[in-house]
Amino acid sequence: MRPPTDAADVVLACGEVRTGLLPSFQPLDSRAAAHLLQLRADERVRVSERPQLYALSPDTLTGVDCRLPAVDGAKVRVVGTVAARAVLTEGRVLQATAYFGAPASGPDRRQPWGHYLVRPGLLEPFGKLPEQAVAKGVLRGPQKGDLDLGLIAEGLLGQLRRHPLLDQNAPFKSAGTRLRWVARRAPDGEGPSITRFTLAEDQLRTVELRIPAAQEASAVAGLCEDLALHDWLLTTVVRMLDTSRLGAVGGAAAVLALRPAVDHLLHLWMPTARVDRTLSPLWEVLEREPGFSRQWQTSVQRIRDQLALQAIPLLREALASR
Amino acid sequence: MIVFAASDKGGTGRSVTSANLAYQRALAGDDVCYLDFDFGSPTAVAVFDVPAAPRGDGLHAYLEGHIGEPLRLDIWRLTEHAVLRDKPNGAGRLVLFPGDGSGGEFATDQDVIQRCTDLLLRLNSEFDLIIVDLSAGRSYAVDMALEVTARPEMRGVETRWLVFHRWTRQHVIAVSGLVFKEFGILEAGADRGHDKAVLRDAIRFVRAAVPDPESPLWSHVSPAQSAWMHACDETLRRLAAEQGIGDSRVLGTVPLEPVLQWREQLITDADVLSTQIANKETLEAFTELARRLTDDTYWGQL
Amino acid sequence: MTEHVFRETTAEPSTRSVPLSHLSLELGHLYMEDIEGGSERLRQHFERVQPWVDAARADAAVGIRGRSPRISTCFLIDDYFTRFSSPAELVPLVLGEAARAGLVVDYLARESGCAVADKVPLAESIAQRLVESPPPGSYGLRPPVRETGWLANGERVQSSRASRAMTTAAEWRPPRETAARRHSIYLDVELWDHDKDGRRTWSCPFLASVWQLARLGLLRNEGEPVLSPRPWNSGTFPREWDDMPPLLQLNTAAAPFSAYRTCSVLPARFLPVEHAVRVVLDQTDVDSGALRQITERSRREGASVPDAVADRVAYVFYRGL
Repeated sequence: MRPPTDAADVVLACGEVRTGLLPSFQPLDSRAAAHLLQLRADERVRVSERPQLYALSPDTLTGVDCRLPAVDGAKVRVVGTVAARAVLTEGRVLQATAYFGAPASGPDRRQPWGHYLVRPGLLEPFGKLPEQAVAKGVLRGPQKGDLDLGLIAEGLLGQLRRHPLLDQNAPFKSAGTRLRWVARRAPDGEGPSITRFTLAEDQLRTVELRIPAAQEASAVAGLCEDLALHDWLLTTVVRMLDTSRLGAVGGAAAVLALRPAVDHLLHLWMPTARVDRTLSPLWEVLEREPGFSRQWQTSVQRIRDQLALQAIPLLREALASR
Repeated sequence: MIVFAASDKGGTGRSVTSANLAYQRALAGDDVCYLDFDFGSPTAVAVFDVPAAPRGDGLHAYLEGHIGEPLRLDIWRLTEHAVLRDKPNGAGRLVLFPGDGSGGEFATDQDVIQRCTDLLLRLNSEFDLIIVDLSAGRSYAVDMALEVTARPEMRGVETRWLVFHRWTRQHVIAVSGLVFKEFGILEAGADRGHDKAVLRDAIRFVRAAVPDPESPLWSHVSPAQSAWMHACDETLRRLAAEQGIGDSRVLGTVPLEPVLQWREQLITDADVLSTQIANKETLEAFTELARRLTDDTYWGQL
Repeated sequence: MTEHVFRETTAEPSTRSVPLSHLSLELGHLYMEDIEGGSERLRQHFERVQPWVDAARADAAVGIRGRSPRISTCFLIDDYFTRFSSPAELVPLVLGEAARAGLVVDYLARESGCAVADKVPLAESIAQRLVESPPPGSYGLRPPVRETGWLANGERVQSSRASRAMTTAAEWRPPRETAARRHSIYLDVELWDHDKDGRRTWSCPFLASVWQLARLGLLRNEGEPVLSPRPWNSGTFPREWDDMPPLLQLNTAAAPFSAYRTCSVLPARFLPVEHAVRVVLDQTDVDSGALRQITERSRREGASVPDAVADRVAYVFYRGL
């Protein structure tokens, strides 16, 4: 017999992260964050305050028995549980991830449900898993009746949004992003690698990874939450700059439009703060191309310059009135 | 902010006017979405000129629990309307959540209310303005809107109601009944946990397809006809005031617009300026209504 | 894994282990109706239980390579649904009648301890851990609102609510057991209801499921064991049930309370309740830390447990009195 969710058995892990602003006027402090993410009464929310406030909910499970998304006409039915968890960063950005791992093959018949429950987050295929077709299928997205990770993640977000702690009065409006990821097992002896990061339309991003056998799917989920968080920050700040119509409108309007970025977003940029050490080198790849931090720094600089420019008339006024 | 568009009967121009409001607010830079909750006859796809009506992946299917997320259509990208296709610089997002083409009215239960709440909460964090077009009369859609907005998790979401009616004796009486009388919006709202006074103050009326006796449209009528029209207008004003929908509760008036009598569509600058098929007054009425939606001086306690 | 210099204890999950026997052997449940029959009824009960206890002990020795198995016995008294008598009166009676049949009760529990023990709402926690077995075709769409308080082993009868106007009504479909082999044995278990003040009352099978999880060493609260036995060396017992700890260790020499497997010797009329318990256990996502500890320890001991939690539970249903 093998232990539940033996990481060595997983040849493919997939997930979807949904990222958005917490619908609350004030950011939550660590106690409130823990309260929000207490999805189970008897399991502790993991909270850490260094280098930034970060709260991670316990995993919850959703039972599924369906086809996996797959390309090229491949069809595979799986049974098991999808794990879902929520993350709150600095009491401000809320994320939900739904993810699973799958072994290379499984029994041809459905087992008693208890068999699957002691392997949380594992989906067992009927027969052989067409790894590559499924990896592509997950990134493309589900067809009708296929496993829908986004739905599970969104369901968790919906549950959290209803929480009485939240006043539904976010300091600014923003669209959420979806990041789909697949991690195939890296050839023995090779380290983790990121093979592709794609920005698609409709706020969708896709990531392809190669991960060594020993790595747990939850650590990969953590890496992708970190990628999704920073991608969302960048997307949101760039959109703020776009819609603030710098130059086209009066200075005061631009200040109003950009101020939420300063108040709520600029201090959140902290790549790999939370990522498993063995996976953090993957960030450096993205720093070289497309250069996440470079674009972030440029955007931040534009915002700061704009606000500084707007301060000049005030300064002049102040000097004149002396 | 959520704005519900209700009406006493069909044919009040509710859908087309609220679609135009959505369009005007998006032009002004707001991120706007439009939800077609006209469950009996979902038609918003036609107003926004979006090619195919959804089948099985629209709001009906979502609320009934058949799918997890309703179809969302980015109007600037998908519309076949030549003017709309070029998103003006500085315009906000304009997204349509269509009903299903084959959809009908359906009974609501707690699951439906839950799904509706989840959707509105989600859209509220994304959009400046959410316009929800409700089926006419005392419909399930109106019921659902009242029930959802009474839920505790919605307390932080600002909600306003526009009630559309035509400018005739029957419509004035019917719309007053819809809001104030037995089984009306206020009473049903109070049953579901709304504070009646707060709800009343969140409701404003829109008089649609109002013939203006001074309009050039009627320049050819005889003096007797003109006098009769003025008298009618005056009588209706008195009636409206008696029925509790006097001018102070009216957010605006949309003049009778021949284009809209022929075809339910968005009125663009081009329709008024270049092709001149639509009246300037209509476009002005839409822009002004759109502005007043969020102008607090037009809302609140009277 | 590389060693981290900086640590925050609130950021690290940990699960404390509990000592484990091979078998937790339940000598009976005591309900109001049992005590109404007086000590005679209790005596008959223990007389029926006794031969099966010997059989269960023999069975526990099979497959652990000749060593003698660690076995603890327990007994459960219902003080949740009805309050009767007092511990001072009742407990000595139970222990006396057990001893008369040659049986030793190592641990004694109160059923209300399965609802709330030491201020920890155990039943509530377990209710949040239910993960329903998905019927084929479940692809992640949220199941209908869960607050109904029922748990089934399959799909309910197709509801006709929320159907659109002017469409034909959906065809009636019978309920279906998800794990059915051709024919269904469909069971829908009521987990709780509400009393007239709106308070939740847990059902007997649901509390019995918590009781099984306690005996299997799978209950934790934020990683800490709950419903742990408290030694009770005094011969006298309190006058009030609330003054008695939820789980007492009466025999200082007893093997640990929790075990790899459980066996309950019960009258045959308990069969429906225990079927319901199986439906609940089969859909409970237990604490993964506790589960892992037990899997690893039992394997090291050469006493591997079945994967599925429900399969770690066995029964003897004796003939009716």
